[in-house]
Amino acid sequence: MYIIGENIHIISEKVKEALTNRDREFFMDLAVRQVEAGAKAVDINLGPRKKDWAEVFPWIVETVETVVDVPLSIDTTNVDGMEAALKTIKKNQAILNSTSAEPERLEKIPALAKKYNAKVIALTMGTSGIPVEADARVNIAVETLIPHMMEIGFNMSDLIIDPLVLTTSGCQQYCPHLIETVRMLQYAWDPAPQISVGLSNVSNAVPNENRPLINRVYLSMLMGVGLQMMIANPFDKEQNDVIKWIESKDMSTPLARIYNKIAERTANSEEPQIEDFDLKDPDQSAIWKTTQILLNKVIYADAYLNN
Amino acid sequence: MPIEIPKDKWPGSIKKVTLGATSAEGGTRAKSVTVGGETTLPYLHFEAPTPNKPVIAIEIKSHRPDDWSPLLGEVWGDAMNDPAQWAKKAEEAGADIIVLALTLADSPEDAVRIVKSVLAATGLPLIVWGPGQAEKDNDLLVPIAEATKGEKLMLGICEDKNYRTIVATAMANGHVIQARTPMDVNLAKQLNILITDMGLPADRIMMDPTTGALGYGIEYGYSVMERLRLAALQGDSMTQLPMIVTPGFEAWKAKESKVGDGVPEAWGDWKFRAIHWETLTAVALVESGADIIVLRHPESVKRVKETIEELIAV
Repeated sequence: MYIIGENIHIISEKVKEALTNRDREFFMDLAVRQVEAGAKAVDINLGPRKKDWAEVFPWIVETVETVVDVPLSIDTTNVDGMEAALKTIKKNQAILNSTSAEPERLEKIPALAKKYNAKVIALTMGTSGIPVEADARVNIAVETLIPHMMEIGFNMSDLIIDPLVLTTSGCQQYCPHLIETVRMLQYAWDPAPQISVGLSNVSNAVPNENRPLINRVYLSMLMGVGLQMMIANPFDKEQNDVIKWIESKDMSTPLARIYNKIAERTANSEEPQIEDFDLKDPDQSAIWKTTQILLNKVIYADAYLNN
Repeated sequence: MPIEIPKDKWPGSIKKVTLGATSAEGGTRAKSVTVGGETTLPYLHFEAPTPNKPVIAIEIKSHRPDDWSPLLGEVWGDAMNDPAQWAKKAEEAGADIIVLALTLADSPEDAVRIVKSVLAATGLPLIVWGPGQAEKDNDLLVPIAEATKGEKLMLGICEDKNYRTIVATAMANGHVIQARTPMDVNLAKQLNILITDMGLPADRIMMDPTTGALGYGIEYGYSVMERLRLAALQGDSMTQLPMIVTPGFEAWKAKESKVGDGVPEAWGDWKFRAIHWETLTAVALVESGADIIVLRHPESVKRVKETIEELIAV
């Protein structure tokens, strides 16, 4: 699993404060720790920085590249900011996060990526928003994103498609469709495009104590359909265990077996079955309930584990 | 060519909830009313009968409301000055249940006295709503719940910000709870979980999903009701509760029914329009699976009851 570390994100109060103080040590430390925890790339999301982009983007790139030797993912809607970052990056091929199928973004961002030899993440979202159905999302990739890339002579192995994870709290019907989208996208083109998702979006607006469980159960389903790249929190040890268990087909503990079983069921286009689980084990019972939420079988509620 | 009608058989069903207790059951009501028990989507008689037909509650207030449409003032007349009289007239107008809505002006003593006067004036089961401010609701509903122990009132309105006190007093005094959430399936289920976690059995809770009125978001309202009912039938126990809806409150808020002056002439006769607004709002919700329908105008009551009779006639 190629993890793009998500922790340098302006939504965090600490990141906000460190940025205000231009605290180099803070960002260097956060970048190093993510890479040590297994991140293969580091996402940098400081927002659009409409006023000070010309200073902030080169500053953060220089700061982070001082201490880590992995690709940086420039996560912003500000195209000028992206370019300022690209001009500063010295070490590795950058990732632009992101374009969508909206004409204005599609016009500018892949061209920018091509100019600076960067990868680009492309969201399966057009002007009319995010479609629920898997087919419709695949169509955006096949009918809009990929043809545009070919048209501008973009190196297809540098295209990463993000089919957009939405939260189980309020957009539950999207969760099973996203799994199918990831499955189908791999057959959408030859060679298969790279696919990445923002995993923790699946638990947006969920109370913090339930988020990691929802994230890792969903992850096991997505790994079942072949997901190999994601933007995620590399410090989540239990998530990293799930990755390790599924990648190495480790069945040595009941939990390792359960997560492998979920991946296997999903791989075979089956749903996890209640008899796969030992419901007397509270962990397994919670995982079972989480599968039912994620497959839109049971309506989500914040207290769904008590249901 | 013979056509075979496909039939669904659902694993889940809606719980039955009973309001009101007769003297044999520890209360003073002339009869109790049971709602819920559905095993399929509304009025699909070829799949299963409607076990308990939807019932009509008429909303009255503890004091003559000054913000209600003059059309309602006209039809209820002086009875609006006396909740007991009003309740009696509501029963005559065809109500199966009375909803008594308290106001911020009521003291706990007044509120208890008014509730008792309404219980004395009619044999119908009673729903009591607090004025809708958390602290005041609790101040009024706790003494009422205690003073009417065993009557099996429905107490409302529980919301996620304020349910604990009302649920606790309902549990202690044998009452039922109305649990309201703002047109959202996730929040509706969440509140049901929180309330049952306190120990109140699910057959003493009704969901109030909030609906909006015709022209004011009713399609969101009935979509939520539909999703809740589908989830319930699919076996999700925390959505298997019957639903109470308030189209009277919703429809009479709408300008179309509330006021007759300063509206386009093309809108036509005010009274004709207003009653249609309430009736059509209510009927849409009946067809979406509502179990208790709270109305305000006697003519709407008559029409909605007729519609229900037609819907349940096989």
